[in-house]
Amino acid sequence: MATSSLSVTGLRKAFARPAVDGLDLHVAQGELYALLGPNGAGKTTTLRMVAGLLAPDAGRIEVNGIDLARDPAGAKRSMAYLPDDPMLYGKLKPTEYLEFVAGLWGVEAALAEPRARELLDWLDLTKHAHELTEGFSRGMKQKLALAGALIHEPQLLILDEPLTGLDAGASRQVKDLLLSHVAKGGTVILTTHILEVAERLAQRIGIIQHGRLIAQGTLDQLRHQTEADTLEDMFLQLTGQA
Amino acid sequence: MARPGSALWLLCHEVRMFWYTTLSSKNVKDPRGFHWRLIAVWLVLWALLHAGAWFVVRAVSGGEGDAPQQLVLAASVLLVATFLFMLSSALKSSVEVLFDRGDMDLLLSSPLPSRNIFSVRLAGVVLGVASIYLLFLTPLAHVGALQGHPGWLALYPVLLGVAAIASAIAMLLTLALVRWLGARRTRVVAQVLGALAGALLFILSQLPNFAVQSGEGGQGMLMRAAQNASTIDARSPLWLPGRALLGDPLAAAIVGLAALAAFVLTVTLTHRSFTRGLQLAASATTTRKAAAGALRFRFGQGLAASIISKEWRLILRDPQLISHVLLQLLYLIPIVFMVFKKDGTAPLAVGPGLTLLCGSLSSSLAWIVLLAEDAPDLLGSSPSDARTIRLAKLAAAIGPVLALVCLPVLWLTWRTPVSGLLAAFTICGITFGSALIVMWTGKPGDRGSLMRRAQGNGARSLFEIAYLLGWAGLAFLLPYAASEQETGIGTVAGIGAASAVVFGVLFLAWFFRHRSG
Repeated sequence: MATSSLSVTGLRKAFARPAVDGLDLHVAQGELYALLGPNGAGKTTTLRMVAGLLAPDAGRIEVNGIDLARDPAGAKRSMAYLPDDPMLYGKLKPTEYLEFVAGLWGVEAALAEPRARELLDWLDLTKHAHELTEGFSRGMKQKLALAGALIHEPQLLILDEPLTGLDAGASRQVKDLLLSHVAKGGTVILTTHILEVAERLAQRIGIIQHGRLIAQGTLDQLRHQTEADTLEDMFLQLTGQA
Repeated sequence: MARPGSALWLLCHEVRMFWYTTLSSKNVKDPRGFHWRLIAVWLVLWALLHAGAWFVVRAVSGGEGDAPQQLVLAASVLLVATFLFMLSSALKSSVEVLFDRGDMDLLLSSPLPSRNIFSVRLAGVVLGVASIYLLFLTPLAHVGALQGHPGWLALYPVLLGVAAIASAIAMLLTLALVRWLGARRTRVVAQVLGALAGALLFILSQLPNFAVQSGEGGQGMLMRAAQNASTIDARSPLWLPGRALLGDPLAAAIVGLAALAAFVLTVTLTHRSFTRGLQLAASATTTRKAAAGALRFRFGQGLAASIISKEWRLILRDPQLISHVLLQLLYLIPIVFMVFKKDGTAPLAVGPGLTLLCGSLSSSLAWIVLLAEDAPDLLGSSPSDARTIRLAKLAAAIGPVLALVCLPVLWLTWRTPVSGLLAAFTICGITFGSALIVMWTGKPGDRGSLMRRAQGNGARSLFEIAYLLGWAGLAFLLPYAASEQETGIGTVAGIGAASAVVFGVLFLAWFFRHRSG
């Protein structure tokens, strides 16, 4: 059995009502896992708990074998989280932003500098490297935030709606970067409302509703389970929206 | 009802939005209702101002008939000072109208004529600028009218007229700056000009301090200037502002006509520039070209250094913060004069002045650095120790404050070592403590709400004020005690009381700190 990069057991979180309700989730190393669900299903809450930004009411989260509750710094060292609307510092330049993020993760200069150059180049941001980020488009901001998330070469990459608002070119660049991360043995867990992205990129798909995982598997396994042809039909059928 | 799309209709919309966003109730059940508590506070304040005005007017009005010469002079000075403060506020409002209003895209994409949009925005600036002065000065007019000076009610149109002139000048200046310097630089320059205009009167009041070498002294010079001014005939055009304020029909009519002309001409001549300025402002963040040159990084600085350099970059690139700090620095001017003055009063006055300045600056910077974090998720998801991050941020906030006062303190220490060292002690105490109080009790917000950070956080404001006063007391009493041959019981008691306030407030702030942080 493949080593688990992320292991979530019995996760619970309630605000006014339960947002995540006894969720179990296991994502193997080198896997790209897509977490789908209707609005308010608990996807973002789950990811924020995994990223250590929200304390769960109950349950256990392990990142690369490290218990997040016991050793948060150790767990966070090997992962990166990208929220759906990443906040950058408008008055910083991309180079300065990457320096700051590298400082937060304690990345050595010898490793960070070539990595930063490579990422800026790959994401087509080098020519904007001396501009303040306040003037960036949504796509450019998203790409820079992704570069920041990858600067310390995390094993686990957690992305909340990473492709929303990106144009076709930027979307392709981000998808290529994610596939390359997985090809190198990294793990990606992402949420998306663009089902075609999950269909084409993800090795496994999980569908969450009312804070519970209601279905999980490869596309073929889900097809078999629902007898629907497309992921859209499967999703609508499983969530009762058909 | 005004016709939809007309200037009046748009003005009604502006007033309604001002009400919803500023004055209406914060009650979630009735979010647009009257904010009764706020209104009651203002009404009580207004009534008290009327009571105070009653005594002031009785003392200065000098019976019925023509206003005495000195009253005309005082009214002129008052109106000129009001104009300068209004100009300062109007510059800030013009920048806000151009850069910070989120509804301009909607308005400009509508078929409304740009002239209507501009005239309503300018009228909004005029009303906003005039309102606070109307609140504080109209009690004098009301009481004056009751005591036999009905002409004093001219204060209403005269103040509105002066506000219109100040707003027209501010808007023209802002639009000219956009044209000459571009939208990005205009924002910084206009904020700085606004701060300077507001402090101009204060700076002018310090000019006599240059005359210390003449042996006459600053106060003597001011007295002589006032005596000379009082010999100028009250009918001189120089006193036209004062006569207008006191109800002289011709003078008031001149001010009114000048205001109307300024408003109409500004709208007629520059409404297209306004639209162009808005477009430039909207695109200012996207048109900046990348500077040529190879990629240069400074990785490997370590966590604390990364955080400090990030915070300092953000501080240096924040125009609002720069103008705010600059305004506070202007108040260093008299302190600087005292430091270099060769008499015995310097050590006693400089310490408290510098101490208060550092406390206020430290509090502002600490709030920006510690609580106006743009990317809390990034920090939260990093493996960095939250305590180290907080300490680095604290260092980033107090570093610039201590660097700024380093030179005057060193100069003071060189001249009077004991006073200098005591000032260094109180400055360090207030700078660290003010930042700690903000860190423990402050409420997070966005950088733009720096000036409104005290809203809804009364306890913290109280802590800050008490802490500032406590240290200011110590900064005055400690050098005073050091200079005395025999320290009196009153001085000792004062030092004890001030110390108790300082440490008591710090303890309370720590005790009531946000436990979650």
